[in-house]
Amino acid sequence: MEKLAVLAFLAYGLTVVAGALIAVLARSLVRALAGLILALFGVAGLYLLLSSPFLAFMQILIYVGAVGVIVFFAIMLTRPPAGAEEWTPRPAGRIVLALVSGATPAVLLGWACWTYRPEASSTPASVEVTRLGEVLLGPYVLAFELISVVLFVAMAGAVLLGFERRRER
Amino acid sequence: MSAWNLVQENPLLLYQCVALVLLAIGFFGVVWRRSLVGMLIGVELMLNGAGLSIVAAGQLTQADAAKAQLAALLVMGLAAAEATLVLAIALVVARRFGHVEADNLSELRG
Repeated sequence: MEKLAVLAFLAYGLTVVAGALIAVLARSLVRALAGLILALFGVAGLYLLLSSPFLAFMQILIYVGAVGVIVFFAIMLTRPPAGAEEWTPRPAGRIVLALVSGATPAVLLGWACWTYRPEASSTPASVEVTRLGEVLLGPYVLAFELISVVLFVAMAGAVLLGFERRRER
Repeated sequence: MSAWNLVQENPLLLYQCVALVLLAIGFFGVVWRRSLVGMLIGVELMLNGAGLSIVAAGQLTQADAAKAQLAALLVMGLAAAEATLVLAIALVVARRFGHVEADNLSELRG
């Protein structure tokens, strides 16, 4: 990697980590969403560094655009009363559980990545978008169709759940 | 081997480090958050880490780069579908219980 690339990597990586920490630790869920979007932009920058600009574009379009709006709708439609939920103290020991459950898979996978690291080149391969389309509509057309079915079923299920009337309990 | 040499020879490890940090922070968030929406944010972080790891492994090794990019695209589509469903579920839960606090949702019968 060139020195400039290392600098860019550091900038994007710090953006990702800072955004993720805000997304997890912020008390207000709207601020957490802002942190999530910051992390998503950082990951898009890392995709650019990996010389896959199409994926960076899709990351901004799908994640920042669609998922960000969906999460914002979720926050606003389930708006808790002020001073509730994320502000109330957690049960004792919750932080230990959270830290252990976060660190365990990361440490295990990190050990695996370090031990069985493959021979990697320092210059990323470049793929034409036309090649992506050929592969997607050639050998992987089933996955392409299935993901559209999954998306359709998810949207239809969401609409169905959203129309449900309130039941008296 | 110094850190600089490592970066020169194997930048894949760096990208995997970022992906693992995203996984760890996302998992931490899922356990730490009280509301369903906060947990959804944690899950989105984890899925992003997965996509980043897949793309880095495809672009920086001998593996087929196009397949890796397509896999990351599929992960993005699944993440969008999952976020939609969680939105609908959180909406129903908020209507029935008046809150979306995961610790207090212990009633199965609607």
